[in-house]
Amino acid sequence: MKKEYWNKPTMGLWERLYIFEVIRGLCITGGVFFGNMWKWITFRKGALTAYYPEEIRSDYSPNNRGRHILTQRPNGEVQCVSCNMCATVCPAYCIEIQSTANFEDPFHPKAPDRFEIDYSRCIFCGFCVEACPEDAIRMSKDVPNLPGFDRTKMWAPQDLLMNWQPQRNPAKVYPSAQTSTQEVHP
Amino acid sequence: MIEITIDNKTVEANEGETVLQAALRNGIEIPHFCYHPCLSIAGNCRVCLVKVDGRPKLMPACNQTVAPNMVVETEAPEVQSARAAVMQFIMLNHPGDCGICDKAGECRVQEYQFKYGMAEPISIEPKHHKKKFNYLSERIVLDNERCILCSRCVRFTREVSKSAQLGIVERGSHSYVARLDAQPFDDPYSDNVLGICPTGALLSREFMYKSRVWYLEPVRSVCTRCARGCSVNVWRRKKHWYVRSLGEEKNITAYRISPLENPEINGRWICNTGFDLHKFMARPRAMAPMMAGNTVTVDEASAEANRLLAGATNPAIILSAHASNEELQAFKEKLSPRVQVYTREDYCPAEGEVVEDDLLIRADKNPNSYSVHAMFGQKAFSAAAGHDVVIVWGDQVDYTSLGNAKIIHLTSYAPEQETRADVLLPISTTFERSGTFCNFEGKTNRFEQVFDKPKLVQHASDLFGRL
Repeated sequence: MKKEYWNKPTMGLWERLYIFEVIRGLCITGGVFFGNMWKWITFRKGALTAYYPEEIRSDYSPNNRGRHILTQRPNGEVQCVSCNMCATVCPAYCIEIQSTANFEDPFHPKAPDRFEIDYSRCIFCGFCVEACPEDAIRMSKDVPNLPGFDRTKMWAPQDLLMNWQPQRNPAKVYPSAQTSTQEVHP
Repeated sequence: MIEITIDNKTVEANEGETVLQAALRNGIEIPHFCYHPCLSIAGNCRVCLVKVDGRPKLMPACNQTVAPNMVVETEAPEVQSARAAVMQFIMLNHPGDCGICDKAGECRVQEYQFKYGMAEPISIEPKHHKKKFNYLSERIVLDNERCILCSRCVRFTREVSKSAQLGIVERGSHSYVARLDAQPFDDPYSDNVLGICPTGALLSREFMYKSRVWYLEPVRSVCTRCARGCSVNVWRRKKHWYVRSLGEEKNITAYRISPLENPEINGRWICNTGFDLHKFMARPRAMAPMMAGNTVTVDEASAEANRLLAGATNPAIILSAHASNEELQAFKEKLSPRVQVYTREDYCPAEGEVVEDDLLIRADKNPNSYSVHAMFGQKAFSAAAGHDVVIVWGDQVDYTSLGNAKIIHLTSYAPEQETRADVLLPISTTFERSGTFCNFEGKTNRFEQVFDKPKLVQHASDLFGRL
């Protein structure tokens, strides 16, 4: 028997007449649309659509990778040592760090001067959190909420990252500069 | 020639050579900290231990002279365990703070620890702390904790720069590197120790925390600070690590200078003035063409220069010893038959600078005097010759010495005094073009373009075609 390589026609005459089936479909979508609209007019929540950015979902999973947090040491200074591991591992190249030196504190001589994340490029992969050896960067479940018309204005500066949801419980604790032990001869 | 066997491979070694030298020359890697090809053999780090057949103990490859029919094994199990033990010992009090160490990424201790070291320390004692940030001088900071006491820097000051300023003081685990008479480490070649230090103990204060080294890439260039013309690497930011928010100027900045090995000219060393080459290049630039103090377009300035030259009865040019051989050639073809040629030294030794020594530094502070003199002779400009138009090529021009002639000035840097040049045409610096210089011995050395030139700046070689 000769093998057939084409599909059998699945539509009957009624479907192929086209216009009646289209009207039937419009009735379904229109019914849902007007139903939702009626609920909206009478101040009830209609469809599941969220009106972003005016309306933000409250039910993000606690594991959601959202906006970054820079943790602080107990004295309020930034925990980050500016090692650039996050900036290096970042697949979107969206972290930029400028460092300063403070040789008075031998346990924390290097710290970021400017730590900036470009939210127009961030892909929320969480690699920066994984790469960080200091527990200095975390991700909260909240979304960045930075909609705008200019991507050059979507940089989150260090101040914002540290203080929008301050966290002062880093897992890695440093001795303070005063308790530092310089060379001690036995 | 002596034939020896390293790792079942027969290699040819020279008479009197060490096993390490023979292995490195033949592409066999033996780890080493304290061995440096330009310094004497110290044999104190012990990480180059290899197994030599017929010897009861492992031998340091750096201090083992080759002998006929020697059989050396570099990857035997006992060698590997000895290496791991040596790394364990070297890392005993090493802080391991690679995250904040500028050397990370080009550090031998880091590399060998990953390759040959043990995964976890077996010591139960706390690490011995030493003073972390010692200012050896205005230029260098010493971290005693990171130092592995290989004595490379000490041998450098004793054998190469001959100042013998550094030494190792105290005993045992308290030992540290210091200048013996408690003065700043002000050797004119001091910055070379940054490069030869196998770990992050000696770091540049100027480069400190400016950038991680893996964001940077070296570009071959030539130091323009004296007639030696040492080969250097200029470190610029890699293209895919360009920053956007922190300022575009970081992308077109030379971060640091390091010596580039060139056995014919400078060996492996350059002087501190050479290490400051990027600061010398970062002076205020002449960015736009000017006519009598007013900014004009490139076309207007070239047209005015052309008009001046065409109307001149007795034009002259003062050549720059910072011009590359290619630019001098372009000048010779396009312009030299029409003008009287004079030469000039752009830069003279600054006050307090080492004028000349018998290692590298030369008294002539310009890179290409040799070619200028070879092509055009040596003739100083005199205002008495009655030139009505003078083209001055180069920086540091004293306009008063030029008499009343009309001046066309080709310069890379903004003139220090108020310019009274009739036409000022900005030209590119050494970092913005590629070419060659001939040093004082006539050896040609090539430099490559590091950055793009600014928009309104022209290459001098293009300019001569237009004039």
